[in-house]
Amino acid sequence: MTTIPTKGDRIVKAAVLIIAGLLLFAPFLFQDIRSLEVAARICVFIVLVASYDLLIGYTGIVSFAHTMFFGFGAYGAAISLKQMGPGWDAVVVGALSGVLVSTIVAIAIGLLSLRVKAIFFAMITLAAASVAMVLASQLSQFTGGEDGITYKTPDIFKTATKLMVDDNNKVVRLFGVKLNGKLAAYYFVFATCLMLFLVMLRLVGSPIGTVLKAIRENEARAEAVGYRVVAYRTFVFCIAAIIASLAGTIYAMWLKYTGPDTTLSFTIMIDILLMVVIGGMGTLWGAVIGAVLLVLAQYYLRDLMGTAAEALHGIPILPYALEPDRWLFWLGIIFILLVYFFPKGIAGTIAERGAKP
Amino acid sequence: MSHPSLVTEDLTIRFGGHVAVNSVSCEFRPGELTVIVGPNGAGKTTYFNLISGQLPVSEGRVLKDGIEITKMPPSARAHHGIGRAFQLTNLFPKLTVLENIRLAVQAHSGQSWKIMTRVDSLTELTAKAERYLEATKLGNVAHLPATALPHGDQRKLEVALLMAMEPDIYMFDEPTAGMSLDHAPDVLDLIAELKHDHSKTILLVEHKMDVVRALADRIIVLHNGALIADGAPDEVMSSQIVRDVYLGKSTEAA
Repeated sequence: MTTIPTKGDRIVKAAVLIIAGLLLFAPFLFQDIRSLEVAARICVFIVLVASYDLLIGYTGIVSFAHTMFFGFGAYGAAISLKQMGPGWDAVVVGALSGVLVSTIVAIAIGLLSLRVKAIFFAMITLAAASVAMVLASQLSQFTGGEDGITYKTPDIFKTATKLMVDDNNKVVRLFGVKLNGKLAAYYFVFATCLMLFLVMLRLVGSPIGTVLKAIRENEARAEAVGYRVVAYRTFVFCIAAIIASLAGTIYAMWLKYTGPDTTLSFTIMIDILLMVVIGGMGTLWGAVIGAVLLVLAQYYLRDLMGTAAEALHGIPILPYALEPDRWLFWLGIIFILLVYFFPKGIAGTIAERGAKP
Repeated sequence: MSHPSLVTEDLTIRFGGHVAVNSVSCEFRPGELTVIVGPNGAGKTTYFNLISGQLPVSEGRVLKDGIEITKMPPSARAHHGIGRAFQLTNLFPKLTVLENIRLAVQAHSGQSWKIMTRVDSLTELTAKAERYLEATKLGNVAHLPATALPHGDQRKLEVALLMAMEPDIYMFDEPTAGMSLDHAPDVLDLIAELKHDHSKTILLVEHKMDVVRALADRIIVLHNGALIADGAPDEVMSSQIVRDVYLGKSTEAA
């Protein structure tokens, strides 16, 4: 961009590069199943949160329907894999139908309601998301209802699949890691998420990226200068929906299970909001940092507290306060402190440091 | 005489019972600089808002080169060549000065939807934006966010945004309001330069009488939303009706 990069900018970008490196080598660096779950979830959520940042951070659109689009993609893949069997054709059909449904719904919501005030738009998206949730639980012959759907993914992602075998027909290990289907699945997630993230980076660096920011900054003037605000808003709403939908498909491929709790629930919507606020809006880098921190906290804060409570055994109150069951309480406190000390999110606040006044 | 580039026919807007602009019919021609005067609350800015589309017209029509634009959103009017600068500074505060201007250039370049091109690679847009930066003497603050500029420079940027749209109709709403005396000439020189290019239609709301005298080819007077005088500057300034409005003779007359 035309702004001169600050020292803070470089720190943020370096942090993101380190995260990308850790994710790239995650299966080799953290050799247990749970870590790989965490790494894959981080990849998917980076894309999901970044696509949400296109709306809230770049354009100033507040939507609560992001998990709905995430769900369309996930259920698209889940249903087609269940009905058509575990082939790549099913994956493609699932991904495309998710994208198609997301696009149609996004255009409908966008054209009908992006003219109205932000608060009404937020309400409409909330309503749409609720409808999607009800549909997913009611149409149980397709969606599996509350139980969700379990299915098989293409053979290459089976844990039993051997990518390379040695002379004894045993799976080859590289640095102690089995080159099996699980590894292939992780790199499928990593590569597709990286691609989607790069597409978004390119989008915000394109002429349209500046227009979106202009709409966020001063909608009326953007219109007066000659930009049809409704058209641009609808466009970015569709793009965000499509990317969320693809992220849903990727996540469905990884989990081999899709249900309301993994894709559609408002808990996930709140997670997305927390990630974007913690990371910092309007940079995409913030999405990376926010997603990493929150997913790590969700998976490891309990363990950490358990260890701490153990270590402080014998000291009054402290072990009691650090009881692992109270992890949500501590997550809340951490969140409040983060918002207090990093009002523009971690990426936003650090990037501002060292900026010229 | 050339054809009018901008026409308003019986242009009216009502806010509830209040008629802010009352059946104003007027024609504006290329190469002509029209100053719109009138006391505070006369409806000058509202009249502008009706022409550039910020407010919906209650009655009447707006025509640009014979095409009716009355129902168009502001963005479509901008593409029809209506350019507008605002009285209250109305910028993109967190974007840099250069980005502000480049947005105006880009809007009329047809390149806004190139979603897979890096904006930095569209060098002709940047070059054009830089020309307007130089013209408005903002080159040295190009990389500051607009909000960091002093008031006078923000006013200049406001004018630069309009210039960069390269419209046929230039609408300035008190371009020098709140500007220090050493800044105002920069803006007025720019407007004078536009006048030399005889293809542009220029509308200017202005209170400062020395500015009006220096630039006006024609003056129209709005009072209580109605057009009460229209003509050459000397003629209008010396007319009795204008003196009454400006010197507050209305009480005496009543």
